[in-house]
Amino acid sequence: MHLVIISGAARPRERSNTAKIIAAFQKGYEESGHTTEVWYLSDRRQWANAAKAFADHDHILMALPLYVENIPGILLEFLEKLSPKAVPGTKLAFLLQGGFPEASQSRCCEKFLETLPGKLGCTYAGTLLKGDLFGLGLMDEKNREKLLAPFTEMGRYYARTGYFDKQTVDAFAAPEYMPPNQIRMYNLVFKHISRFYMGRIAKKLGCRERLDAKPYGDIS
Amino acid sequence: MRLLIVNTLPKDDPAAVSAIQTLGEAVPDHRVVNAYEMTLRPCAGCNACWLKTPGVCAVRDGYEELLKAYLEYDAAVFLSGTALDFVDHRMKNIVDRLLPLATMYIHIVDGQCRHVPRYEKKLRFGLLYKGTADEAYLREWMDRVMLNLGGSSLGVFPITQAEEVPACI
Repeated sequence: MHLVIISGAARPRERSNTAKIIAAFQKGYEESGHTTEVWYLSDRRQWANAAKAFADHDHILMALPLYVENIPGILLEFLEKLSPKAVPGTKLAFLLQGGFPEASQSRCCEKFLETLPGKLGCTYAGTLLKGDLFGLGLMDEKNREKLLAPFTEMGRYYARTGYFDKQTVDAFAAPEYMPPNQIRMYNLVFKHISRFYMGRIAKKLGCRERLDAKPYGDIS
Repeated sequence: MRLLIVNTLPKDDPAAVSAIQTLGEAVPDHRVVNAYEMTLRPCAGCNACWLKTPGVCAVRDGYEELLKAYLEYDAAVFLSGTALDFVDHRMKNIVDRLLPLATMYIHIVDGQCRHVPRYEKKLRFGLLYKGTADEAYLREWMDRVMLNLGGSSLGVFPITQAEEVPACI
């Protein structure tokens, strides 16, 4: 089965967390002889080919980061221009990744994604969602591979099933909410540790301001 | 009461002209920003506004004017086109680029992670849409957007019902 993967991330491929997740997923998907092609909407020169691939093939996966409770504007613009398929039979699935750890943060977007295939003349093939992935591009290779390994497994799973079963992807996406003891630990310890690390990353990037700076004044 | 009206529809769109007139008559102290003509770019996802130049967007295309205006006015109402039963990409790009108003820091509110707002100001945004849309979903989406910004939604209405908005402000 040939799978067309369209990345709706705005970041260029080399700095995109979504691209890293796609690569891990592809690895598992292609192990059993299946093939893929990937188009990156961050590069506008690829839009025409991505639209053609959508039109010509009947197994599509759109991978995207969660952007303010829904799909990125860049992906929405691409979708607005797509011609819905006239012939039924195309399966359209989604891979949605976010920064917050709880799956509940992605449910509003998932709800929208569930409606999209019907509007594009396709059949919905499920949404694989996962949070807590903001740091993917900032961590060392070993930790990144550890974090990405489950996506390779999901690639194998999708190659077998051609569908993201709701029960399976909900287990993959867990936790739905952070458990109370984890919230207590976050407030007591991890909040301060994460702020310390954010400060260090910012400094490395050349930031000279406080991360909570108010460049336009404190208007209340 | 000072109202910011962000029009993402063409300046001469009759529905937009009518809605702006209705809002303007109800709230004399208002400002209209015609964002359609500004050709604003999508969020680049670079995180500079969180980690490199906190609070300042790296995409220099005039959006900064809007960021300042959100903070200056008591409330903002967006006029949007629709696509796929949702807002269109012009409106979504404008929403995606609200990120400089939040910090990278996370706190937990009502059991869910939220970005700590950068400013004390409680943002209040409403939406008027033109075209076919799932209004219940748009309302849910706006509620979530404002929740994450530490603000509140003024509601979502078809553009032909602009007279409903002043009562919500």
